[in-house]
Amino acid sequence: MDTKTGEVKKEEKQKIVSKDFPEYVRDVINDPGLDETIKKLTPEKIEKAYNAVFGKLSSRIKGIIETCMHCGLCAEACQWYLSNDKDPTYAPVAKMRMTAWELINRQGKVDAEFVKQCARIVFTECNICHRCSMYCPFGLDITFIIGMVRRFCFLLGVVPQRMMEMNQAFMATLNQVWMSQNDYIDAVLWREEEGAPDFKNLRIPIEKEGAEIIWYPLAAEPKSGFYHIDRFAKIMQVAGVDWTMCIREGWDSSNMPMFIRDIATMQRIVKGLYENAARLRVKRMVLTE
Amino acid sequence: MGFLESVTLYNFLRGPMVWVAFIIFFAGSFYKVYTLIKQAKGEKFILPFVSLKAALKSLMHWLIPFGSRNWRLRPLFTIVTFSFHICLVFTPIFLLAHNLLWYESWGISWPTLSESLADVMTVIAIIGCIYLFLRRIFNPTVNFVTFKSDIFFIMVCFFTFLSGFFAYHQWILPYRAMLNLHIIFGEIMLISIPLTRLAHMFYFFLTRTWMASQFAIWKTKDW
Repeated sequence: MDTKTGEVKKEEKQKIVSKDFPEYVRDVINDPGLDETIKKLTPEKIEKAYNAVFGKLSSRIKGIIETCMHCGLCAEACQWYLSNDKDPTYAPVAKMRMTAWELINRQGKVDAEFVKQCARIVFTECNICHRCSMYCPFGLDITFIIGMVRRFCFLLGVVPQRMMEMNQAFMATLNQVWMSQNDYIDAVLWREEEGAPDFKNLRIPIEKEGAEIIWYPLAAEPKSGFYHIDRFAKIMQVAGVDWTMCIREGWDSSNMPMFIRDIATMQRIVKGLYENAARLRVKRMVLTE
Repeated sequence: MGFLESVTLYNFLRGPMVWVAFIIFFAGSFYKVYTLIKQAKGEKFILPFVSLKAALKSLMHWLIPFGSRNWRLRPLFTIVTFSFHICLVFTPIFLLAHNLLWYESWGISWPTLSESLADVMTVIAIIGCIYLFLRRIFNPTVNFVTFKSDIFFIMVCFFTFLSGFFAYHQWILPYRAMLNLHIIFGEIMLISIPLTRLAHMFYFFLTRTWMASQFAIWKTKDW
C-alpha cells in the first residue's frame, strides 16, 4: 500500500528540469500567460525584443555586468534563497546568470522555452525588493537587471496571466479593478452617506480646488475595502485638514505596470496623478500604501 | 627551458612588454572609466541623482573590515578577502625589488616594505587565492555562477605571486626562468585589468556611488 501511494505522489509531483541549467529543477506550474503565449513566439520576435531591451547596453547594465565578480555574497540577502534551503538557483546572482547574462551571451538567439524559463525566474522567483543590492560589496543593482528581463518578457507578451490582466485593466481604465468613473463617484458618495450616522457633517470633498492635500486611494479601496474611505474622511475631518479627492481618470495610486515594466502605462499613471494634483492646485499628495 | 632562461626573453619582457603592459593598463583603465561616466552623463537621469555624501558614507562602510552587515555576517570571508586585496594591491607597489627597477630606469623611488614583511604579504595573497579557488569549487552557490573567466582571474593572481615568491627564494626553477615567468604573469595581469571584469577595482567606486545615492533617496542605508 505504501509503495502505491508513494508512486501516486511521485506522479503528482512532476518536475521540470531546465535544459540549459541542469541544477534548475522546479515543480510544473501551468499558467496560460506563459504556456499559451510562447507558442506564438518566433526567433525574429525574440531577437527584436532582445535588441529593444539589451541591444545597446545602458551605462547601468554595463557597469553591473562588467563589475560583478560572481562572489555569491548577495545570496544571503534573498528570501527566496533562504526559504528554499539555500538552493543555488535561487541566489540573486544565479537569477541574473540564468536570464540576462545568458541572453547577452547568446545575443538574443534563444528559443521560446528559454523565454518561458526567464519569465518564470524573473516574475515568480524575485520580488524586486533590492535587499541583494544592500548585501553586494559593489552595490550592484541586481533588481534593475531583473526588471530589464521582465521588460523583455513583457514585450514578448510572456507574462503570468494575473499580472498581464491587471496591466490590461490599467491600460483601459487607469485603475486596477476595471472601475468606471460613475462607479467611483458612486462609491465615494455612498461612503459619505454611510459615515454620516457616526459623524456629524461628515464630508468627502470632491474636486475641491486649492485644498491642502489630495488623497489618492488604491483601487481596491473603492472596490472592496470601501470602509477605508469613510475612515480616512473621519480622520481628516477630526484633524481639521483641508483635503480633497479627485474623480477624474488617474485616481489610482497603485502602479502595477511597474512590476512588468510596461513603461508607457507606468508613465500614464504617474502623469495622471501629477496632472490631477496640478489641476486642483493642491500642495501635497497622499497615497495609500 | 633554454628559451625561458634566455636573456633575449628577459630583455623583451623588461623592455617593450613593460611599456605595452603599463600603457594598456593606464590608458585602458582611464578609457573604461571615462567612457562609462560619459555614457552615464548622456543618460540624463543618472548624474542628477548622485549624492556624493551618501556615496562617501557607503564607501567608507564597505572599505572598512566588518563595517557593513554583510562583512559582519561572514567573518572568515571578510578577513580573507580584505587581507587578500590589500596584499594584492600594495605588495607589488611597495616591494623593494620593484622599486629598484623604477630607480634603475627612471631614477624615482618611494618608501618600501621590509623584505620579510613583503614575504608574509605574498604568502597571504597566495593563501587568499587558494581560499577563493576552493570556495568556487565547493560552495554550490558560487560554483553555479562560476565562469571560466573567474578561474582565469584567480589563476593569474595565484601564479604571479607564486612565481614571484619562488623567484625571490630561488626555488624550483633556475632564478632567471622563474623571474621571466613572474614577469609574464604580472604583465598578463596588468593587461587584463582594463580588458576584463578585473576592472572592478575601478568600477567598485562608481557602482557603489550609484547605489548609495539610490538608497539615500529611499532614506535607508546600504551597509
